[in-house]
Amino acid sequence: MRQAGTYSRILSGGGVSGRTGPHLLPLARIKKIMKKSSVDVKMISGEAPLVFSKACELFIEELTKRSWDMTIQGKRKTLHKEDVASAVATTDVFDFLIELVHRNAADHVDDVSEDHAP
Amino acid sequence: MDDSTNNKITTGDDETANQQERLLPIANVSRIMKQILPQNAKISKEAKETMQECASEFISFVTGEASEKCKKERRKTVNGDDVCWAMGTLGFDDYAPPLKRYLDRYREVEGDRSATPQRNEEEGRPSSSSTQFDPNLKPF
Repeated sequence: MRQAGTYSRILSGGGVSGRTGPHLLPLARIKKIMKKSSVDVKMISGEAPLVFSKACELFIEELTKRSWDMTIQGKRKTLHKEDVASAVATTDVFDFLIELVHRNAADHVDDVSEDHAP
Repeated sequence: MDDSTNNKITTGDDETANQQERLLPIANVSRIMKQILPQNAKISKEAKETMQECASEFISFVTGEASEKCKKERRKTVNGDDVCWAMGTLGFDDYAPPLKRYLDRYREVEGDRSATPQRNEEEGRPSSSSTQFDPNLKPF
């Protein structure tokens, strides 16, 4: 879903973010996720998903960067799920993800067919 | 409702659809990841999926906190400030300033366009495009 060009120019123009272009994440989907988070969530202002679209970008970037650090430590070039788990384990602010990444690890076996250091 | 346990008895399509609803699209997530990584970096499919899950968890986590605040203050609507506040409280202090600026800028733009006062509890009427944003409210 494309957002109005006006918003993208104004909102992503210099100062706030070096990135150009419309929101990278769909606001309607963000709204759905917000609603599902708690029965207490009744009404959501139009701005809230917008704030999240930016926040999620920052979040994904940070977690990805830290995961990549783990990948580099392992002398690999492919970022694996385990790298994300390690990044979560070593970053306090990501404590809320510990159970999630462990649950994922228990359910799946990571693909070993990818570039994997011997 | 099945009388059997809800354990992959439903069609795979139903499950997939449900799952997709609670996650951000993998293509978008993947794009953001690639933006921050070096050109030669590769990302396993499962790492992308894990990131999708983490992002949804992040939204839920912060929304929960923001929603608690609204409840205590007897407000029904979670707004942008609540989200910013919640992030600061939960340790995402670094995000709060750029987000506030982002939000202020959005409000500045919207404030010029619409002179109507805040009507937090009302139904918002979507205009021609379903993607229009009304700072005054789109209750959901």
